[in-house]
Amino acid sequence: MTQGPVSSPQAALAPRRVSGNWRASGWSSWLPSSLLSLILACLVLPPIGILIFRSLKGERGSPTEGLQTLENYVRLFGNPKLYESAANSLVFAACATVISLLIGGVLAWVVERSDAPLKKLAFFTAIVSLGTPYILYVGAWLFLLGRAGPINDIYRALSGTNDLLINVYSLGGMILVEGFLWTPLVFLLLSTTFRRANAEMEEAARMAGASVAQTVWHISMRLAWPAILGLGMFVFIRNVEAFDVPVLIGTPSRISLLTTDVYVSLTHNPPQLGYASAFSAVMLLLVAVLLYFYGRLSRHADRYASVTGKGFRPRPFRLGKGRWVGGAIIVLNFALVLVIPLSAILWNSLTPYVRSFSLAGLGALSLEHYRAVFQEDHYLWLAFNTMIASAGAATAALLLTVAAGWLSVRRWPGSQLLDQLTSVPLVFPGIVLGTALIQVALNAPVPLYGSLWLITIAFLIRYMPYGMRYSYAGVMQIHRELEEAAGVAGATQPGLIRRIVIPLLSPAIISGWLFIFLLGAKELSLAILLSGPDSQTMAVAMFDQWSNGQSGEASALGMVWTCVMTLFASLFYYVSEHQSNPEKST
Amino acid sequence: MDGRRRILRSAMAMLSLTCLADYSLAIDQALVEAAKKEGEVNWYTSLVVNQASRPIAAAFEKEYPGIKVRVTSGTANDLLLKLMAEGQANSMRGDVSHGGSAFGSLLKSGQVAQYVPVESKRYPEQYKDPSGFGTGHYISFLVPAINTDLVKEKDEPRSWNDLLDPKWAGKMAWTQQMTQGGPPGFIGATLSAQGPDQGMAYLKKLSQQKIVNVPANQRVVLDQVIAGQYPLALSTFSHHSELSLKKGAPVKWLKFEYVTGTVDPIFMMKGAPHPNAAKLFIEYVLSKKGQEIIQAADYIPADPQVPASIPRLKPETGGFKAVFLPLQQVEAEMPKWVKIYGELFK
Repeated sequence: MTQGPVSSPQAALAPRRVSGNWRASGWSSWLPSSLLSLILACLVLPPIGILIFRSLKGERGSPTEGLQTLENYVRLFGNPKLYESAANSLVFAACATVISLLIGGVLAWVVERSDAPLKKLAFFTAIVSLGTPYILYVGAWLFLLGRAGPINDIYRALSGTNDLLINVYSLGGMILVEGFLWTPLVFLLLSTTFRRANAEMEEAARMAGASVAQTVWHISMRLAWPAILGLGMFVFIRNVEAFDVPVLIGTPSRISLLTTDVYVSLTHNPPQLGYASAFSAVMLLLVAVLLYFYGRLSRHADRYASVTGKGFRPRPFRLGKGRWVGGAIIVLNFALVLVIPLSAILWNSLTPYVRSFSLAGLGALSLEHYRAVFQEDHYLWLAFNTMIASAGAATAALLLTVAAGWLSVRRWPGSQLLDQLTSVPLVFPGIVLGTALIQVALNAPVPLYGSLWLITIAFLIRYMPYGMRYSYAGVMQIHRELEEAAGVAGATQPGLIRRIVIPLLSPAIISGWLFIFLLGAKELSLAILLSGPDSQTMAVAMFDQWSNGQSGEASALGMVWTCVMTLFASLFYYVSEHQSNPEKST
Repeated sequence: MDGRRRILRSAMAMLSLTCLADYSLAIDQALVEAAKKEGEVNWYTSLVVNQASRPIAAAFEKEYPGIKVRVTSGTANDLLLKLMAEGQANSMRGDVSHGGSAFGSLLKSGQVAQYVPVESKRYPEQYKDPSGFGTGHYISFLVPAINTDLVKEKDEPRSWNDLLDPKWAGKMAWTQQMTQGGPPGFIGATLSAQGPDQGMAYLKKLSQQKIVNVPANQRVVLDQVIAGQYPLALSTFSHHSELSLKKGAPVKWLKFEYVTGTVDPIFMMKGAPHPNAAKLFIEYVLSKKGQEIIQAADYIPADPQVPASIPRLKPETGGFKAVFLPLQQVEAEMPKWVKIYGELFK
């Protein structure tokens, strides 16, 4: 690919050097971004078009059925509880974001930048919890903290009253559960950021007499700022438009959030998609504005780059006696995010019917549900489908977003829209994206409808924003001087990407791939809506059992599935780490 | 329990012997041939996969070799969204579907084909659409259910009015699904059984009881009652309680003055790509053989000659009075019931 390490006379005379920019100029410099924008637009714009079109149509059964109308927006803004709901949503989203950032961020720092023990446990926790299906995970917390859960049971037994110690059906409960949900994302993303931290500045600060805490606050955190900010913004948006937790916890306790009404409109028969679409359209605006401001950060990308030509090998901070604190944080996270909810799922998978923890229940435990799971060879086929769709989506998403992330951080001509295009799918509720894709597939010239391809494309669209966050934060850390040096040395663009950018980005790529893969493998709403007779996935089976009163079998299946996912993810992680980690391969 | 099951099983065996002859006679050979030419039938179903939809598909394929049943599973709402979209795109892919609430919506948008199955002649009128668009293939009864650990026998409510007792305030839960099996169906049944004025007055009083809206289906709400989260659930299916009771769960379903019956109709789609196979499949599901698989999967067969797996689940054998919500009434009045829910219970 490259012509050799020594700079050739041609390279020195190339026009890009004359202009002070090593990159090709003229129309050819517009080509990569334009091509990529076109591909992304083909993926993203049809569903957006359908979304906006649908938000302007009257609901079925209403007097304005099928007509152009603004009634969905009127209903959205005319909601008498709008201010209350909006305030609740803001508090919920902001607090849950802070919890995720705090737990995930501290953990990532301890694991990557300190000499605390048990680091592997933190990765294990993140991967297993990402592999656990949501309905089971949220259900486990509700079961544990609920009225009939062990904590309130013990409290009642000790206090002799009928009161509750914890009411999970409250805004606080909602924030806690949602906060836990996104901790693994924050951890995985920030750990790749901290792994590439700038050791030079940190060491300089330490030499100048700064304490560990001061160094972390003033240097490490500042350098990770774009990643943290991007992530915080991302998690915040996800929280504002989250359905699961606000609905599962908020509805029974009558706490109204912005998404509560949207959810109810979707439970109608047929679901009222106009209202949900109008809500998504408003979210679309919010995301666009936030991304616009965020994009300005990348103008100063070099300021945050920590991977420079001067060689980097961040040394971990010595915590001294504080090591055990670091270890304790990892163990605490392991217990909170994984052991406790998983033990509830395990309990449910072993009891013949749903019941609270009790000694009496211990005698009735059986492996019956597991036996039922292993008897169905049909699950193998579902597992295969699921793996193919999510691995395909993860691979495609990373391919696209690495290119998009690199082009937009490096501010290539025409790259202005790339971040927007890759991030827009964030606003689609699963069901809205699903129905839009059904329409696209039914009208497509190729037989897409009901195929595994459609599910893969749906996962790709849905999870591209996550891939973009990993790629964008990753590229931001690589100083352009490395690429310029390679360019000067005569590397071609593809060679430069293959030999410089991809290897340096590999931690972000690996984490991003795993994240999307694991999320896709447990995606419910899209997978169920889009699956045809030949493209049933694991989620369909799990949801079928869960909603048909076989929650024991669903839990057993969920446990087995979590184990399979963990094994697969760990294998992938180790193989890719050992193959592409530049620190280890040099 | 065992003895009863044995008797039931032998009764079932006898029944199936007698009806085997009937069934094969009833089906027109020409239909079978035409169906075989089509080679497959697309069945969109929300029946539980392992116990119902896969056994039914397997049994049909065995009965008619050469016709493949392609099963698309999902929740009733998912399937409805798909069928609606297929209809709008003039590209119907589904042949057969089912479900009370979906039936109304699809009928209204003209997506259901008219077909009066030969087998449906044995079925009571109230299980059939009068214009021949659908026939109930299983029935369900919507009842309140209690956790027997939390509600002692002396405290059990015995009538609909007992539920208005302040002691139940905040302790009753129901699903938030806007289907005939959810609050709208409950509201419709109350208005039908008690009359519009008295029914409405009852609903208003009931709304003071702060019923907990649970964002999950009836089955999940019942599971929460069994787990002790709530002592009582309204609008649960009686057969779900019986199934859990069989596994030892502390649950009991209650029969008050009347019990709401709902019919789940099976129907053929308009523009179905395999219309003959669809007809043959519907005939099979409504036949005794098909109904026995429904029974074995613990749904309540609509066929009057096939008992429920637990006999007390059917009104005739269970000693309760059922008020059925006729299909056309569900279809016509659903929006009104949803509106009442929004005004009183949301």
